[in-house]
Amino acid sequence: MSAPISKVHVIAHAVWAPGYPDAQSFFAREEDVSLVEPPLAFVNSRLQRAISLMCRMAVQVVGDAIDAAGIAPSECATVFGSSHGEMQIAVDQMVMMQEGEGRLSPARFKNSVHNTAAGLFSIAAGNRGFTTAIAAGADTFPLSLLEGAALVASGEESHAVVAIADEPLPDPVSQFGEQRALAVAVVLSSDPSGSRGRITLPARSTEADLEAIFDYGDHPAASALRLLVALDRGHRGPVALTREWGVVIS
Amino acid sequence: MRTPLAITAYGLCCGLGRTTDEVIAELSAGRRGLRDAPFAVPFPALTGTVPGDLPRLGAEHASRDSRSARLTALAYPSVSAEVDRCRARWGSERVAMVMGTSTGGIDRTETAHAAWWAAGAANAPLPADYDYALQHPFHAFTDLLAELSGIAGPRYVVSTACSSSAKVFASARRLIELGVADAVLVGGVDGLCHTTVRGFHSLGVMADEPCRPFGRDRPGMNVGEGAAFLLVERAGEPRAWLRGVGESSDAYHMSSPEPSGRGAAAAMRAALEEAGVQPSQIDYVNAHGTGTQHNDAAESAAIGTLLGPDVPVVSTKAYTGHTLGACGAVEAIFCVVALERGFVPAALGSHPVDEGIDLFLPEVRTERPLRFALSNAFAFGGNNCSVLLEKAS
Repeated sequence: MSAPISKVHVIAHAVWAPGYPDAQSFFAREEDVSLVEPPLAFVNSRLQRAISLMCRMAVQVVGDAIDAAGIAPSECATVFGSSHGEMQIAVDQMVMMQEGEGRLSPARFKNSVHNTAAGLFSIAAGNRGFTTAIAAGADTFPLSLLEGAALVASGEESHAVVAIADEPLPDPVSQFGEQRALAVAVVLSSDPSGSRGRITLPARSTEADLEAIFDYGDHPAASALRLLVALDRGHRGPVALTREWGVVIS
Repeated sequence: MRTPLAITAYGLCCGLGRTTDEVIAELSAGRRGLRDAPFAVPFPALTGTVPGDLPRLGAEHASRDSRSARLTALAYPSVSAEVDRCRARWGSERVAMVMGTSTGGIDRTETAHAAWWAAGAANAPLPADYDYALQHPFHAFTDLLAELSGIAGPRYVVSTACSSSAKVFASARRLIELGVADAVLVGGVDGLCHTTVRGFHSLGVMADEPCRPFGRDRPGMNVGEGAAFLLVERAGEPRAWLRGVGESSDAYHMSSPEPSGRGAAAAMRAALEEAGVQPSQIDYVNAHGTGTQHNDAAESAAIGTLLGPDVPVVSTKAYTGHTLGACGAVEAIFCVVALERGFVPAALGSHPVDEGIDLFLPEVRTERPLRFALSNAFAFGGNNCSVLLEKAS
């Protein structure tokens, strides 16, 4: 397949994982075990009620990445990717179905949708513009990146932040997925100033074996780590993000 | 003005029927597709349930079973010949797939969880035929659809609750305009499940009688289900034209719309501006119209402000119930049908109209030539999308 989107630049990024509040500490492996959830300092406490760790992480990295890019949170388009979405809340609700009268909590239900983080960020930032929430299994990040890059390449948006966040799957489905929490965001821009690399996509993956980043293995957000590592190394050329999809950095 | 894209095929199933022809016949006749939910819940529930038992998947796909997968398999044959033509014309890799859903195959996990809970939870086994990875995730039904269709281009799910399968039109348009794809199968699929039926009940917005969008003393909404697919192509024989898509955020509340309808109006206005179409040119609005107090009040304010009181407005959720992640695609198809056949459906349940709502809600089906139709979809998180369609001349 040809790769028709070729004028989009990565200008900033952010990472959050338990113990690692930013990309620097994450890649240096400087763990602070006291950090169990993101602070979400820019979100009022009422909005933070009954949200998941996944949602907290997604909103935190989007806020941090936009801050690093020096753009206004109220103006930036946002693309929130997650492979599993709000599974913790989904299973919490299934427990409620088994207990008492089987009624759900309205506070949990309104935060159970895949676009909870998208809505929460738009409210916290006063952002009335574009936001979306994407899922595509293992390919969630590269296809969220495609959605964000298409927004920028089409001229609809000057910037778009693309995030992926996934938390551990709860029992009884924990055996079906990654057991750690990780969130990554990148800011895309049509303007090359401050570019850390120009990306061309979509590109089919050409690597049979994906680069392992630490021990995150098949975590859905490991695909975003592969992009950050390639940019940090100054790599130019194809980068396999998943077994199906990659990007070309130039 | 953006280049119009051809909508070359459509097909669906929902509470109105199991086939596209059945659905259109019921819509045209002004009959509701509301009946009992396909499972028991501890309160009265009237839902837009697809009539009859949903056929099991074929043996080769059986491991992907879920209610959404069965709806997918039921509706896909209605567009399969056109998808095959499309793949032959453009190449399978040049056909993408962007689908909306709000819950994917969650019913399978609900069933498995209930069995696990009944067995004592903890280390109890899950049912042998349960496979989270193949059945539950948002993308599970798109993997099934890829197997059924042979579509090999990029495929992903937009999941922004009730605007999901309206936003897929904007994604498809970008992919085609930028040359990522030449055609995109878009749509939405959501099966009835405990999570949504009990969830909306917890919010106090579920009706135990047929919903009455924009009506006086309206009792709330009926949850529905459906699978709806449309083929959007760079060029082709159009059933209708995709002319504009507007997307906005309320930035107000997670589950209540901004009362003035500011965000809804912004989405509608953006769709019109993309097409260079004036508000006075709109012939029909398929409203989001859930039948809840707050949604209908905010949406009517937005429509009234932007389009005035004379354009016909109908919420087809009175026919289908609220098909959630599928409603954007279901209702876009209803707009295409209205444009093709030249009729505005009756605004079922809207009369007597709420005294605070100043809209033209046609009491009976009206035959009239239509050129432009606007389809609204608004969601939790204040996520708004409006799709503008034009009759193929």
